[in-house]
Amino acid sequence: MKNRILIVDDSFYMRTMLKNMLTDAGYEVVGEAANGQQALEMASATRPDLITLDVILPDNTGLDVLKGIRQEQPDVKVVMCSAVGQEVIVNEALESGATAYIVKPFSEEKVLEIVGGALQNQDSDSSEA
Amino acid sequence: MKSREEEYREIFMAEALEYYDAMSRHISELEKDPNDEKALHELFRLMHNLKANARAMGFNDIGEVAHRMETIFGLIRSKERTFSGSLVPVLFTGVDTLGGMIRAVDQDEDVANADQLLHNLDLLVEGEEPILEPDEKNVDEDATRKLELSDLVYIQIKKLDHLLNLVGELIIDRDRILTLSQEIGSPALQAAASHLFRIADDLQYSVMDARLVNVGSLFNKFPRVVRDVAVAEKKEVELTIIGQDIQIDRNILQIITDALLHLVRNAIGHGLETPEERVRAGKPEQGSLTLSAQTERDDVLIQVIDDGKGIDVEQVRRKAVERGLVSAEASRSLDANAVRAFLFEPGFSMAKEVTDISGRGVGLDVVKLAIDSLGGQLRVDSTLGQGTTFTLVLPTSIAVKGALLFELEERSYAIPLMHTDSVVSLQPKELHVVGGILMARLLGENVPVVDLRQLLHNSDGALLPAVKAELQGRQDIIIVNYNNRKLGLIVDRFLRQQDIVIKPMSKPLDMIDLFGGVTLLGSGQVCLVIDVPALTRLFLAKRP
Repeated sequence: MKNRILIVDDSFYMRTMLKNMLTDAGYEVVGEAANGQQALEMASATRPDLITLDVILPDNTGLDVLKGIRQEQPDVKVVMCSAVGQEVIVNEALESGATAYIVKPFSEEKVLEIVGGALQNQDSDSSEA
Repeated sequence: MKSREEEYREIFMAEALEYYDAMSRHISELEKDPNDEKALHELFRLMHNLKANARAMGFNDIGEVAHRMETIFGLIRSKERTFSGSLVPVLFTGVDTLGGMIRAVDQDEDVANADQLLHNLDLLVEGEEPILEPDEKNVDEDATRKLELSDLVYIQIKKLDHLLNLVGELIIDRDRILTLSQEIGSPALQAAASHLFRIADDLQYSVMDARLVNVGSLFNKFPRVVRDVAVAEKKEVELTIIGQDIQIDRNILQIITDALLHLVRNAIGHGLETPEERVRAGKPEQGSLTLSAQTERDDVLIQVIDDGKGIDVEQVRRKAVERGLVSAEASRSLDANAVRAFLFEPGFSMAKEVTDISGRGVGLDVVKLAIDSLGGQLRVDSTLGQGTTFTLVLPTSIAVKGALLFELEERSYAIPLMHTDSVVSLQPKELHVVGGILMARLLGENVPVVDLRQLLHNSDGALLPAVKAELQGRQDIIIVNYNNRKLGLIVDRFLRQQDIVIKPMSKPLDMIDLFGGVTLLGSGQVCLVIDVPALTRLFLAKRP
């Protein structure tokens, strides 16, 4: 089965670009959320394998969303999408259980490398379990 | 067709202009109340997004300004700076500058140099005093500021429906004026009329074009549907989507939504086998399902293709006999296409058991009805053991339809070309009576032929058996095709082929289902449009 990905970003432009990159690479994009509330709802409705999560969202920070998702789904892989200058938030996110992070603006190769890497860990984790 | 780059650029521009509007609003809010945390967070977020998007597009000048602005709003958020003093005019200038840069990029102009602003923003980050231009100190005096509205407009579909209806009326009047101008013979009037003709044509295509949407807007909802149905049916399905960029009228897409959903559920529920069955049949475990769209002349073809077990024609044949749709004897002479057409009969379900997802009594007849209502065609092709393909042939637009005009008892009628197979002129000796029905042999196929006059006049009871001796001279026959059944209609005279605007019948005439609507000809004459599906059903019910 294709790996299923939920995209969380408040910019339609970013979502479109990420969706195209991921879909072209053979992933299934199961949903797009534009704010934290939607992200939490869609994460629990779609149960994705991986979530790309923007660090800055209109209603709450990506960090709060990350914590909310982690409580419900400890196994889902979360890739934080940040921009230069947000190293502090990224570090906190990694400590709160984010799997990896990408720095915007990102290249297609970088996105696929990091998403692929995060999912790879999942496969090896599950085979060990 | 738009390339992905153009699409990205359009989205970027629309969003950037939206961001700029919001920034201007929020910075004014912040000026009124420097403790407005919500406005501050929004400014920070918008700068963040603009920076990331601009850099992804390669608009680095915008990215640089937005980046520094974001940093300063971040510092205000963490209380390291306050929104006061010389910082305020610099940030206002920053927002205005971003607006100017976005506009410049939109119009492919060079982005103005922002070195002074960047330097000031750097000074603010460092905690130093910016260097203000004399006129920068008073932020309310910016007379160069322009108000920008977005280039995109959202329109309710019912407004477009209304527009399309008006265009339909206009086309009818246009044809009337053109005919009148020819009758009157005034060159000036003729010139004006032909100009009107071109303008109205242009208008019609513009309105039709405004209603077109990508098939992808519907197709892209299917990955989720397919996944859920596959899980419920315990099937493994690989979905392929082709032709998302094909354009079609939005209302047509709306009408076929349920039909497509039904076909997809059907394909997974009944078409594709379980992984075990597939392995036994020597197929890959994962079934393949394809949703494809393509254009064919003026039509859009949408196909649902699976590589499942296919349709067992003999089983359908038996079931059709059991249900009394055809006699056992007659069933034997039907070819595979004719047999598969039974699948579209009301209530004809091949499901052995009712599952959660499919086979709940809603049959393919519902799909067929939806397609019929659009004047489209539904076809099914299948190879046992290899898979099934459902093809929806749809008009691109609902506004005008190509039609064949003919005359019967000095009245004009129209038949949509979508349902017209061919027109033939036959001598009586080329027609034969079989079981009371006239038959014509066309390209190796026996096609029943009926006098349309009889079919329209005879309201009660069965048709009288055909008598060949009644036929005199050459017969003009239109061969119509519905659900793989051909039927020849004898008419008085073929007129011409023409694009027509079909208007629905108003009450109480809408009860007459033999006619799909009316159209007005240039001569001002009312012309009834034959509903081929209804006519075919009537013939089947009344055949002697």
